[in-house]
Amino acid sequence: MSESVVNSVELGATAADWLALLKPRVLTLVVFTGAVGLVIAPSHMNPVLGLVAILCITIAAGAAGAINMWYDRDIDAIMKRTASRPIPAGRISAEGGLIFGVTLALFSVLVMAMATNLVAAGILALSIGFYVFVYTIWLKRRTPQNIVIGGAAGAFPAMIGWAAATGTVSLEPVLLFLIAFFWTPPHFWSLSLYASGDYERAGVPMLPVVRGARYTRQNVMAYTLVLVPFTLAPWALGYMGWVYGVTASVLGAMFIWYAWAVLTDKQDEAGKSLTKDKPAKAAFRFSILYLFILFGACAVDRFV
Amino acid sequence: MIETQKWTPEMVAEFKRRRRGRNWLLLGVLGGFCLVIYAVACVKLYQTGGMW
Repeated sequence: MSESVVNSVELGATAADWLALLKPRVLTLVVFTGAVGLVIAPSHMNPVLGLVAILCITIAAGAAGAINMWYDRDIDAIMKRTASRPIPAGRISAEGGLIFGVTLALFSVLVMAMATNLVAAGILALSIGFYVFVYTIWLKRRTPQNIVIGGAAGAFPAMIGWAAATGTVSLEPVLLFLIAFFWTPPHFWSLSLYASGDYERAGVPMLPVVRGARYTRQNVMAYTLVLVPFTLAPWALGYMGWVYGVTASVLGAMFIWYAWAVLTDKQDEAGKSLTKDKPAKAAFRFSILYLFILFGACAVDRFV
Repeated sequence: MIETQKWTPEMVAEFKRRRRGRNWLLLGVLGGFCLVIYAVACVKLYQTGGMW
């Protein structure tokens, strides 16, 4: 071990290390979709309570991320991308990370119940439990379908936002949930096409590792084709107006085009890209923009 | 217990800088928690007519 690493560990964690446990980069999308769910709900909510509800969703997602880092510390230490995280790098103890995550999770659920209602708090608790127990502990290391089912955890925020405002769950937030749910596979598998080496070393059965790149490309296309009708459903059912309808149609066509480019990328017999995975990288970047614009259109549509 | 005798002055300074950062973060988080609870309580009391 180099001297600088020893020193870094001995000197303890920085404030930034503790914040890194919350996976702040992932939180942006969670906060945004949660806020959209809250804004489009047909109910007036006190703005202070609305902000507290979004804060609770953010803290809960961060807490789930911290518990995930605690559980995955062994495989994180093997993967290049995650080896420098605070727990595998030794700057924060495993127990410290777990206590931090559980404390924040409890706080977020209790405050959500206090500020809004038990339905929102219940779904918030369910989403944390789903991410930790179903995705992290049960599925992630067992099946290449891990992110399909586990993706549900990341799809909850819009529904929680809606429930926080209304105290109920109806078809509309369920559709938002399904959109985020079916968006996850093409989003994540596009990334995994060019970043699966790490998972292979750590023994995590990601789809390209277990079933190969060609099969993964087919699944990116298939799930995109499943996703697009769900994004059009709020418009078709009359929940959303023309702003959302046009946006969803254009974005859907673009996503299908990107997925088609991934499927037909120049590749060898095993499906490995001969173009340095340019289409997969483009599809991954677009998928993030896609969800932001789609949910943004939901909010805009409400006020047009 | 952390052994500090072999530490250089730069390491001691860095250790203190990190500890100060952690303490400020903790203070901010605890203060934020208190503020959130206080704000929620105020709004709830106002909504139920018990504030004023």
